[in-house]
Order: sequence, then structure tokens, then C-alpha cells
Amino acid sequence: MIGILHRQRKKQEQRRLEIAILRHNPADPTSTPQLQSFHIEEAEGMTLFIALNEIRSTQDPSLQFDFVCRAGICGSCAMLIDGRPGLACRTLTRDLGPRITLAALPFFELIGDLSVNTGKWMRGTSERLQTWIHDHAKVDADALEARMEPELAEAIYELDRCIECGCCIAGCGTAQMREDFVGAVGLNKIARFRLDPRDQRNDEDFYELIGDDDGVFGCMALLGCHDVCPKQLPLQTQIAYLRRKMALIGLT
Amino acid sequence: MTALIDNKGSNELLAADASGQRVIHAPTAMPLRQSQRKSRWPARFDLLQSASGLFLALFLMAHMFFVSTILISNEAFYTVARFFEGAYFLGKPYPILVSAVVIVIMVIFIAHSWLAMRKFPAGYRQYRAFIDHKNHLRHNDTSLWWLQIWTGFALFFMATIHLYDMLTQPALIGPYESADRVWTGSMWPLYLLLLFAAELHASIGLYRLAIKWGWFTATTPNRSRRRLRWAKHSLSAFFITLGLVTLAVYVDLGRNHAAHAGERYVSPQHSTAPVRH
Amino acid sequence: MEIIHSDVLVIGGGLAGLRAALAARKRGQKVIILSLVPPKRSHSAAAQGGMQASLGHTAKGAGDNEDVHFADTVRGSDWAADQEVARMFVHTAPKAVRELAAWGVPWNRVQAGPHEVIIDSQRITLNEPEAAHGLITARDFGGTRKWRTCYVSDGTGHAMLYAVSDQTIAAGIPVHERMEAVSLIHDGTRCYGAIVRNLSNGKLLAYVARATCMATGGFGRIYRSTTNAVINEGIGAAIALETGVVPLANMEAVQFHPTAIFPAGILVTEGCRGDGGLLRDVDGHRFMPDYEPEKKELASRDVVARRMEAHIRSGKGARNRFGEHLWLDITLLGEAHINGKLREVKEICQHFLGIDPAKEWIPVRPAQHYSMGGIRTDAHGAARGLRGLFACGEAACWDLHGFNRLGGNSVAETVVAGMIVGEAIADFCASAEGDMHVSTALVRDCWEQENGRFSQLAASRGGESASQLLLRMQTIMSEQVGIVRNGEALAAAVDELKALLLRSRQIGLRTSAPGANPELTTAWRLQKMLKLALCVAYGALQRTESRGAHFREDHPQRDDAHWLKRTLAYWRDAEQRVPTLEYETLDIRRMELPPGWRGYGARDAIEHPETALRLAKIEQIRSELGDTDRHTMQQALMPFRHLLPPHLRGANARLEENA
Repeated sequence: MIGILHRQRKKQEQRRLEIAILRHNPADPTSTPQLQSFHIEEAEGMTLFIALNEIRSTQDPSLQFDFVCRAGICGSCAMLIDGRPGLACRTLTRDLGPRITLAALPFFELIGDLSVNTGKWMRGTSERLQTWIHDHAKVDADALEARMEPELAEAIYELDRCIECGCCIAGCGTAQMREDFVGAVGLNKIARFRLDPRDQRNDEDFYELIGDDDGVFGCMALLGCHDVCPKQLPLQTQIAYLRRKMALIGLT
Repeated sequence: MTALIDNKGSNELLAADASGQRVIHAPTAMPLRQSQRKSRWPARFDLLQSASGLFLALFLMAHMFFVSTILISNEAFYTVARFFEGAYFLGKPYPILVSAVVIVIMVIFIAHSWLAMRKFPAGYRQYRAFIDHKNHLRHNDTSLWWLQIWTGFALFFMATIHLYDMLTQPALIGPYESADRVWTGSMWPLYLLLLFAAELHASIGLYRLAIKWGWFTATTPNRSRRRLRWAKHSLSAFFITLGLVTLAVYVDLGRNHAAHAGERYVSPQHSTAPVRH
Repeated sequence: MEIIHSDVLVIGGGLAGLRAALAARKRGQKVIILSLVPPKRSHSAAAQGGMQASLGHTAKGAGDNEDVHFADTVRGSDWAADQEVARMFVHTAPKAVRELAAWGVPWNRVQAGPHEVIIDSQRITLNEPEAAHGLITARDFGGTRKWRTCYVSDGTGHAMLYAVSDQTIAAGIPVHERMEAVSLIHDGTRCYGAIVRNLSNGKLLAYVARATCMATGGFGRIYRSTTNAVINEGIGAAIALETGVVPLANMEAVQFHPTAIFPAGILVTEGCRGDGGLLRDVDGHRFMPDYEPEKKELASRDVVARRMEAHIRSGKGARNRFGEHLWLDITLLGEAHINGKLREVKEICQHFLGIDPAKEWIPVRPAQHYSMGGIRTDAHGAARGLRGLFACGEAACWDLHGFNRLGGNSVAETVVAGMIVGEAIADFCASAEGDMHVSTALVRDCWEQENGRFSQLAASRGGESASQLLLRMQTIMSEQVGIVRNGEALAAAVDELKALLLRSRQIGLRTSAPGANPELTTAWRLQKMLKLALCVAYGALQRTESRGAHFREDHPQRDDAHWLKRTLAYWRDAEQRVPTLEYETLDIRRMELPPGWRGYGARDAIEHPETALRLAKIEQIRSELGDTDRHTMQQALMPFRHLLPPHLRGANARLEENA
């Protein structure tokens, strides 16, 4: 069924897209949030990165949005695409309808139009959760490195792949209601450092960071995070695992 | 325990560099004193919320099976009812035992409601934020939680009525007694709503528990989700069907017994109270 | 006017800037980092395949050491690298990898025992030594004689950037995000910081610092087809150029990566070929062995990119509606390998091409990838021309890479240079030289000058459109100053770029929104980018030889006799339309490895008379020293350790050495 629809669309002539963007410039006191529609001709292989740049260069040079790598690696361009959080740079217009609505990620501080300050929030989260290796030994960079099982290194990388795009926060029901919630990005980082033998912290230390309703116990397992994560991180299982470990600390 | 470093004191890491040169002396990291230790209650509350929910869901299933014994025969239901009054252990039925069970259930029920309500939207702003989020995300698990809130909210009233009934009239559980309550007592609309609310709430709750704690995992998270979702749908469907059929039998029984409403069921096998053999 | 003071101002929050900041901070300096974007979004994150460091733990890396890495790097550079710097680099790279390992980078590790790999399209079983189990492993990359590229799947840059960024957070170094340095505060001899524009609200600020470090990355966006992120516009290098006293070196040395997906230009890592991937043409024929029988797909990037373009020109390109391309075939690596070690490649193929690279070939064509040139510095990262100004990473011409950089050497350079330059900055700040006497009048003048420029530009209502001029510049660069160059096209390019520079003064803005105005930003940056483009094109026009990535059809030979020198481009007068070029000769008499054949590519260099003399001298030193250890021998040929900070001078442990 989907295959048939897809093929039909490919056969179709070039589409004219309507891209409705929720505009707002907080720096301008007269600005109020409103949807503004732009019309462009769809091109083959067009991504939202291409479409938005075309709109900015040919229709409205004041349109604000953030792209950096435009390859789905850096996490700058997360936005609500037809209501769902995703990376705009790697979203092909052919996978969307002829009318596309774009809005800034909720939850984060709005800079303007589609641009939000995820960086500030992520840095705050890193500071709050102390997302670095805690090891008081002095590094001897001349000596052979400490050994690690290959599977363990791969397992750590699996969790290290987070790009801090903010999609999980925007997809999280809890975060919409409680702004101090660490979210999947924060919990995943704790899971990553907990797994890493180079980090000397134990579960009691981690409990100090996430053992409350703004931490792992605030998660209601709605799984918006897991389902929108552009890197397909195993958030569902990692948060469950942390919950078990932190609940055990609660019994001490 | 490794000393945790407060953020400003995190410069201590600077001592761990590769350079043999001058390093700055970071403020000494203060080991967290015992009194500063983070409260263990959030963990315990979370465990209690899950445990109470699990208990109530299992109770609900068992309850449904007991109530549905009416499908076998009046006598079967009668036997089950007397069983819970301790008739087969104590020589004669003690309805007070039912009241005691009801009190325990009520306590757990209220505890569960209180624990769960902590997660409800606090105030209109949060309520709106969640609704907007749910509506634009169009995400199954998020919407399910909304259902969970509303069924939970409804249960708080409806189940309380039912529990109060059982608490105050523990002796009136029997084929005719119950059927009269359903029909002549006009309780069937409540039971109908209660059935849907309770069964949906319980099956979603069990599903959520399994996800939350990582039970019954398959090779990939998505595969375990699919499996759990199937189990959730099956549970809902099974118990709602069972409940509807059972309720229909009670309605039927109640209508036929309406003329004699209030008359109690007398077991043909035991014209007197059953005695222990 | 708001003035923010610090000891050290690091401009750029990528790996090089962060690591330099960390080094200076550890020495007690107050450091502020400015970044266009949150640091973890920097383009360093896009480095996929890995980082070279001669650990030599693997079966295919056995026998590797600094000497081999050094020779590969110098050959790769086509002898244009600064050999002392190359030595400092190869010596420090293993330390950098190990430090990063301690900071949490999940380097892939050696699994002892047999495992299957693809080499030259043959399935081969390698046996990894038991003694190396659990140590950092490595993959093959182009232009290297050993498997030396340490990696984290194909997200190496990401893992490194996150680990280093987290260290700067741990160290409490503030990062001022969404800030763009728009000019340097200087008096013609000493740098005192920068005038900075807040990209969120458009306000100009003054950052005054005793030392300023440029770590702003490359300028790939002056090309139309580039693997670079949209922030890689070279503004840092451009504002250094605009001081009039700081030269940009070797700007014509621009690397093209062989495998960018076509037409989007997004990089797929060299690791694809390192792990056994093949290049195929329209007929499915594997053509690289025809050109490079020895290194095949794994010759250096300049050679592979050139061979690919030549093959397309010979009519063997595949074609789709966007134009001609070739195929990268990694299907033979198998799904398991791709899912494990080439995940980002897989995701990129899925999202941008809609194909599964385990089943289908990837359309690729070379695209601009790296700027070997940049702010000319000494071995300690101090910029030429202005005291108190430093540079590191891709923004700098430290001159590790010469005219062609090896894959895996740049992400390594970022951290290695950060370690070394950061120490030098701390030394500078701790010395009397680091004292600063800056007048507030100078700061105010600089601020007012920039403020005036922005106001003027914002009010400008000329007839030119910034986005159109930008597109034209990018097109000229890709078409006329690309992989294959010739004098005629270059001269035409220079002429048109000069005209564009004039036209860019007539830009009219259509909007005047308060706060950050993206149109104003684009218009302002365009003028800087045009100057960089002119440095590249004019430098390429003047350099009448072929060396590394700079290939002239009309001068196809490497000409050591005339061109073994570094181009220095100055922009001394704001009104001049092309840069003033000067040249800095590379001294063969001090080289450890005198010019020769690279082992791949053309073998027709015009020799420098000094080469033979130096070779004889080296032979003499070798025979005099006789049977000595390699460190002593190296020290006799070209001492370099004195250039390193003392704590980086120690010997590196390997399984067979110093372990």
C-alpha cells in the first residue's frame, strides 16, 4: 500500500510545496508568533536544509534557523516537522506531504523562528550531571593505555552517539510539564558514564545526580524520546536499567 | 564512595592532567556529608507506585475471574463468595473478612492514587502543555498516558463507590444479591463504565510497568515493545469481553429476579450454612 | 561598549580550540572560548574515520612508530610540510590518543585472535596478537604504510569532541556561544583580543585578552561543492588577513576528498576504502589499480581525487540527472561490518540517498574537504606578524600537512596542536611578553570602526544580492580553482573574483529586522570570503608547478628547484584587490627527509640542487653513527624535542618498546 503510494508520487510531476513556518522574533517587541506560508518548487533529493535555504535566499532573508553539518551528525537543526521532532537537514521533502509545517522545538529558549538555544541547556545539563570521566589518577600519556574489552568499548560508543539535538526532550511528555526534568539525553549520559570503567563513580554517586523526580523517577516511560531519537539510541532499555539500579539504592 | 565534586569545584580534575608542569590548585572537593545525602524517598515512592499498581492490577484480574464464575453457575459464584467469607475454613461465613480485604484494597488503592497523582499535570499550565504536546506529537504511548490519567481519575470516584458498597454490605455478595444490586439497584451503568476504566487502566499500567522496569525484554527494544503491546491489547480485550459477558449475565439474572429483589440466594446443596468437612 | 577581559581568548570551539583552552586553563590562565555554535556542534564532530597515531598494536600496524608516521606525513605533503612540526606531531599523537582514552573516548580495541578483513578485494584472515588484546586498534587509511588510524566506529570526531568538550566543562571554562569574532584588536605589532558580534542579538562586544588564539577551522564554504559544514567560512583566517600584518600561508593548497556523496557533497569516510571498499566506474570496473598499481584506492587523497576526475573526463563516469560521478562499493564488506564500523555512512546513505550501502553502490565524486593553508604560525602556534596572536587546527598553517594532508592527520592535529599551542600560550602569558598595555582608546577605536561598518552595511541599499554573489564565488571556485587547474582558467577566476569583490561593496539588504539579522551576517561574511577566495585563486595562479593537492595541467611537474617554498598572502591595504604574495623557502639542508618520490602518483619532479647534497650529508651522518638506536639517529638528523613542552618529550610506549 505504502509502496504503491510512494511509486505514484515519484511518477508525479514536480510538486509545489507549501512550507508553513511558525515565525517569532523575541528580539522584536512587536513580533507575535504566527504561521507564515512560503511556496517553493520541489526539487529532486530536496531536504528541508535545501528548502529553507532557498526560502531564505529568495523570499525572506530574515528567516532564522540553525544548520551546521547538514549531514545529520551535529544535532543543530532539530525542529518540529509536521509536529514531530526531527533533524531538518536529513528530512527529504518527498517523504512529506505538499504542505509542511515547521516550528521551533518546544521547551528550549527561542532565539527566533526555528532557532532555539539547545546549547545552553545542554551545557547546563552537562554541569548538573557532571558528564565527564571522574578519575583522580594522573594520566600517564607516555605509557600503554589501560586495556578494555572490545565489546565494552563498542557498548560505550553505542550510548556515546548522542548528538544532543534535543529531540528527546521535545518528544518527552514529562519535560513539557516539568522544566527541571533531565530528560533522556541526561539519563543516557549517566548510563554511558556508569558503563565506563574509567569513571570511578558508583551508583550512590549517580543517585545523587538523578535519584529524584527530576531525574530517573520523573520518567513515566512514555517513550517519546526513544521513538524520535534520530540516532536510534536504546533509550527505553537504558532508562529502565537505570531505574532498577537507582531503585535499589533507594532501598539502602 | 567517590567524593562528588560540586560544579565549581570540578577544577579538581585539572590535577589529573598529562602535564608535569604547574597545575592550579582547585578548591578541595567537599565529600558530601551524610546529612546532605539525597533522600531515598523518591526511589521508594516510585517502587511503591509500581508495586501498588501491580498488586491492584493482579487483584483486578483475579476479581474478574471470581466474579465471572457466575458464567459457570449460580452455585459456583455462591461457593466463591462464601469461600472469601471464610466459610470453608471457619465453619461459617464471616462477611467481616470481606470488609477487611476491602479495607486493605482501599488503602492500597488510595496510596496508589496519591503516588500516581504526583505525576499528573500540576495546574492548568502543565495540563495545557501536555495536551498540546500530545496533540502535535501524535504518539501512541504518549496518548495512552492521557487515557491512563482519565481512567485513573474516573476510577478514583467509581471504584471508591464500589469499594464503599462492599465495605458496608459485605454479606450481600451472592448470585441474587449481586444481580439485584446490578439491576434493581441500578448499578449496571456504573459497573459498565468501571469495567472499561479499570481494565484499560490495568492493562496499560501493566504494559507501562514492564517498559519502565525493563521486564520481558526481547532482542531489541522495539521488538519487546511490539510484544508487550500485543500482550496489553490481548489483556484488555480478554478482560473487557469477559466483563461484558459477566455483566450481561448479572443484568439478565437481575431482571428475572427483579420481582423477588432482596431475596437471598439459598444454595440447593446447603440449605444451611456450609460446614467444614 | 561592553568589554570582557580574560588572559586567553580562544576563538573557535572545535577540537583544536577546546584542547588549547584546556591546556592554558590547566596552567592557571583565565580562558574564555568563543564559538559560532555550541562547541559539541563544531565541524570536528564530522571527522568520521579516525585519528592517526603510531601505536602499532595491530597485526597490520606491527613495526609502526614515529619514524614511519613521519615519513608518510612528509610524503603525503609532497615535501611541503615543515618537517620539524611533522616530527613534533607524530611524537605527540600517541600521547594525545592515550590522553583521550583516559578522558573516556571509547576507542575501538584489539580483539586477540583471527578475524577476517578485506584487503585489495580479497578476504584475508589476520591474527591479532594476544599481548595486544584490549589495546587501541587501528584501521587502514590512504597514504600510510601501516594500519595506523585509531577510530571509534565512524564517529571518531564526535567521540573526541564530546570527551574534550566535557573536559572543558569540568574545568569550568566558559564558552560564549553564538559569538563571531569580526576583527582583531591590534596596533600593528601586538594583538589584544577581538571585537565580537553576538549572533543572537547582533550586538558588538570587545573581548580584551593577553593572548588570542584562532581556532576557527577551514574555509571550505568558499567552494560550491564541499564536505564542510555551513559554518566553515574561514572568517577567523580572514580577519587575521585583514590586520594587514598577518600572512595566510599556502592558501592554494586545498584538499578534495575523493568520496563525497553526489551531489549533496556529504562526506563518507576514507575508512570505507581503508576497510576494503572499492571505486568503480560506469561499467562497474575497478579503475584505481590501472592508475596506481601499488596503493590503488589507498593512495593519498590528492592522487585518488585527481585520478577520479581524470577517469570521469575520459568518459567513464556514471551519470545521473545531477551530472557525472563514480561509485564507491562497500557491499563486499558485509552488513555486519557496515552496521558496526560504518554506521554513520549507513545512516547518511539511507537518509540522503535512500539506499542501503550494504546492498547498493554509493554515488561519489570528489568535493572540497580541507584547507591545508591558513594563518602562518611558528612551531609553537604563534602567528607571524602579531605578538599575542596564536592559531591552531585547520585555521592555522602550522604546516604539518604541506600541500596534501593524510586522512586521519587532521583530527589528530587538532588535539596535538591544541596541546602544544595551549602550552605555548600559557608560557607566553606567564612571561614578560604576555604583559599587556592596551589603551581603552584603541579598543574603542576598533569597536567603533566595526560598528560603523555594520551600520553602513545594514543601511546599504545597493543593487547587489549577497546570496547571488556568494553563489557565483562558490561556482567559480569549484569550477576554475578545483582539482585540476590551469593558468587560463585561474586568471579568469582571479579577474572575476576581483570584480565580485568590488560588487560586494554594492550589496543592498532587503530586511532590517532587529536582533540577529541573517541577511546582514551573510553580506558581511561575503566580503571576507571573497578575500580568501582571491588568496586561493591568486596563489594557485602564481604557483606554476603541481604539488600535492595543487595540480596544474599546464605545469604538471613538481618543481622543487623553483617552488619548494611556502606562499604567504598579505592584504596590507584594504583597497587592494589581490593579495600581496611573498614566499618562504623551505630549507632542504635542515630536512630529515629530503624531497623524493612519494611512492604513488607522478614520478617526474624537477629536483632541487640541494637535495643530492642533503642526501649525501644524511648518508654521512648515518654511517658515522653506525649501529645506533632510532631515536639517537633521528636526533642527529633533525632535532625537534626542544620545541616540545617538557612534559611531551618522553618516549612513547609500545608493546615492543618502552612498555
